[in-house]
Amino acid sequence: MGGYAGQILYIDLSSGRIEKKPLDMNFARKYIGGLGFGTQIYLDLIKDNPEFDALSENNPFVLMTGPLTGLKMDGVARWAVGTKSPLTGFWGDANVGGYFGARLKFAGYDGIVITGKAEKPSYIFINDDVVEIRDAQKYWGKDIYETTDELSADLKSESAKPGQVVCIGPAGEQLITFASIINNKRHAAGRTGMGAVWGSKNLKAIYASGSGNIEISDPDKLKVLKEELKTVYEESIFIDAIHASGTPAHLDVGIISGDIPIKNWQMTEWEDIDDIGPGSIEDKIFAGHKTCYGCSVACKKDAEVKDGPYKMDKGPSPEYETVGTFGTMCLNKNIESIAKANDICNRYGIDTITCGATIAFAIDCFENGLINETDTEGIKLTWGNSEAIVEMCEKIAKKEGFGALLAEGSAKAALKIGKNASDFLTTVKGLEAPMHDPRNAHGYGLAYGISPRGACHEASLDFPVEGGSMYIPEIEELAVDIEEMSSDGKAILNVACQDYGMFFSSCAIFCNLGATPLNATQALSMVNYVTGFDYTLEEIINIGKRVWYLKRGLTNFFGARAKDDMLPKRLMTEMKDGPTEGSVPDMEKMLSEFYELRGFNKDGVPKKEVLEGIGLTTLAGLIYNN
Amino acid sequence: MGMFKTSEKLEEVLGGFFKLMADTPVIADKLLKSKLVIRFSYTDPDLVVVVDCSGEKIDVRPHDTDSKAIVEMSMSSDIAHRFWFGMVNLTKALTRKEMIAKGPIPKVLKLLPAIKPSYAMYPKYLDENGFEQYNITKAYKPPTA
Repeated sequence: MGGYAGQILYIDLSSGRIEKKPLDMNFARKYIGGLGFGTQIYLDLIKDNPEFDALSENNPFVLMTGPLTGLKMDGVARWAVGTKSPLTGFWGDANVGGYFGARLKFAGYDGIVITGKAEKPSYIFINDDVVEIRDAQKYWGKDIYETTDELSADLKSESAKPGQVVCIGPAGEQLITFASIINNKRHAAGRTGMGAVWGSKNLKAIYASGSGNIEISDPDKLKVLKEELKTVYEESIFIDAIHASGTPAHLDVGIISGDIPIKNWQMTEWEDIDDIGPGSIEDKIFAGHKTCYGCSVACKKDAEVKDGPYKMDKGPSPEYETVGTFGTMCLNKNIESIAKANDICNRYGIDTITCGATIAFAIDCFENGLINETDTEGIKLTWGNSEAIVEMCEKIAKKEGFGALLAEGSAKAALKIGKNASDFLTTVKGLEAPMHDPRNAHGYGLAYGISPRGACHEASLDFPVEGGSMYIPEIEELAVDIEEMSSDGKAILNVACQDYGMFFSSCAIFCNLGATPLNATQALSMVNYVTGFDYTLEEIINIGKRVWYLKRGLTNFFGARAKDDMLPKRLMTEMKDGPTEGSVPDMEKMLSEFYELRGFNKDGVPKKEVLEGIGLTTLAGLIYNN
Repeated sequence: MGMFKTSEKLEEVLGGFFKLMADTPVIADKLLKSKLVIRFSYTDPDLVVVVDCSGEKIDVRPHDTDSKAIVEMSMSSDIAHRFWFGMVNLTKALTRKEMIAKGPIPKVLKLLPAIKPSYAMYPKYLDENGFEQYNITKAYKPPTA
């Protein structure tokens, strides 16, 4: 078989035990890879002792690649992580690009399962067959950039091939519940606080270097497919746009349809949008193109601010979501300040979506008199105050002063601020919504509501399909004409986007940006040619369905119920003007239809017989016997 | 059959609107900065219009099939008509090939915020120039005397 490295590492930080288990190919066939592997392994690990806090040593952590990770092709560099989220208390996961996944596979491993807690700060060293847990005290307290540079330099002589570092920053060490894990200073597993789980395990970093390669089962057919895809990519406007401007290209398109949340979701139009759009980014901070392993799309950008109050060295440029949360959401029209806030988040290792959205929430509280300058220690948290936004970002990253409160995320901060602070929240299941407005496309509302990890536009393919960047004509439900500002047909659309999406983004781990032009035939063929399996479309959709129920079931087991599937008031408030005037998703209708389609009970939990019917007996037992 | 019965009527309506945009500084000033020359090729009914932003003023040239355009955009007349109401999901239209674009498209996308005011102008323009039957906006209310 091709595609797989053939082993999974099991590392118990408490005992120091390291095991290399061969990858069972029947298991591989059944779950494909990525979080298909990860969710099932996680479930097997917790089933006998399922009650624990996310930051306890009993919370396992899975890091998995897919069968395509490490191949020199567009949009397949990705890998994924998953565990119980300290931010939400539910299942959490994140999907990330960069170079680490490729290096891990070259070393001979498809994934790493981490359990327990190290006695002292540690890192994991992987160089082909050599796998060791090592002392990380000299790196503890250092930021992401310092840790990456110093570990890379210190370990360079120990591996024949250059290694890759994935690490946490001070935020993860301090257990900030939206701390991220970052590879190569820019590729973040950002959402749901994966970095805090590493911090709780005293795990600072993993270094991976490998001298192996990945076999391809049918290289000739893959070569022909790659030739076919050349034309597909050349003709793709989407690829053209993200290559030129990165994900911020969406600012120009999103402002037309009302997709961009502005002023903490109170506006959809803003005359200053151009000041932080792709044109301004290019003129003021652009410093070069970057990419992930083997990908010619190169949607990553560098930024540099040469002088002034937001001076920053050349480094990762803010993505669309970051420009949204620190920019439009806060009415901040200073792109250099957004780049600086992004730099702070990257160095300390925190999720820019939760951080920026939490600051926008705090500004709302400040402007509405719920908090004042005494609370914020003199910081005027007002709309558009770039200086205050950057200052508060740093305080959150350092867990200082009022920043320590906001470092718990907006949902927990609202409870402590009290009064009507929850009116200003934009969270579902405790996770701050991304920068795509369900009033512009109602299916996003359902996608945010029923996503296992909370409000998320990447938890299924609804965002690219309903938003229009992805077209899958082979799947009937995804090939229909979609009326965005309508709630009709969105339940069945979401089901199809979840099932195919789990195959696409979670198991095979195609990139939701770089692999956007692929239709189902091309994606499926790629997996088959690489692995040697003979999956059919029906089979991968069924695998996707099973993985979706696994994620949802874990979230249900951790306590989520129907009330947690609702959207916050801010996202459900009708706009009085602009492109989405009068448009609000009908959540009751969509949820009702969705629960029926998915076989949920009225509490929002999959029925026992539904889980058992698709082979998830262990999950059914966990949910219904506990 | 599309909404417009003849190429002449399409030219009268859309060509006239392009000229209105060319004379509207809040839009024209930003378009001129792009220096782009865009050829729109419409079908059902057919029409070619070049919008030339390379000079000091925007030049709208119907039937110009000869001059060199930097960007070529092809679509049905109905899609074009709906676009100017803000009713077309541009990303989807491009992905599903309802619109075909060739040239430096990122430069065109950067113009979208600049042309946004035109969405409010189009229904008003139709009503004020005797083209009421083409106004498909439900919410739009014609100005009262």
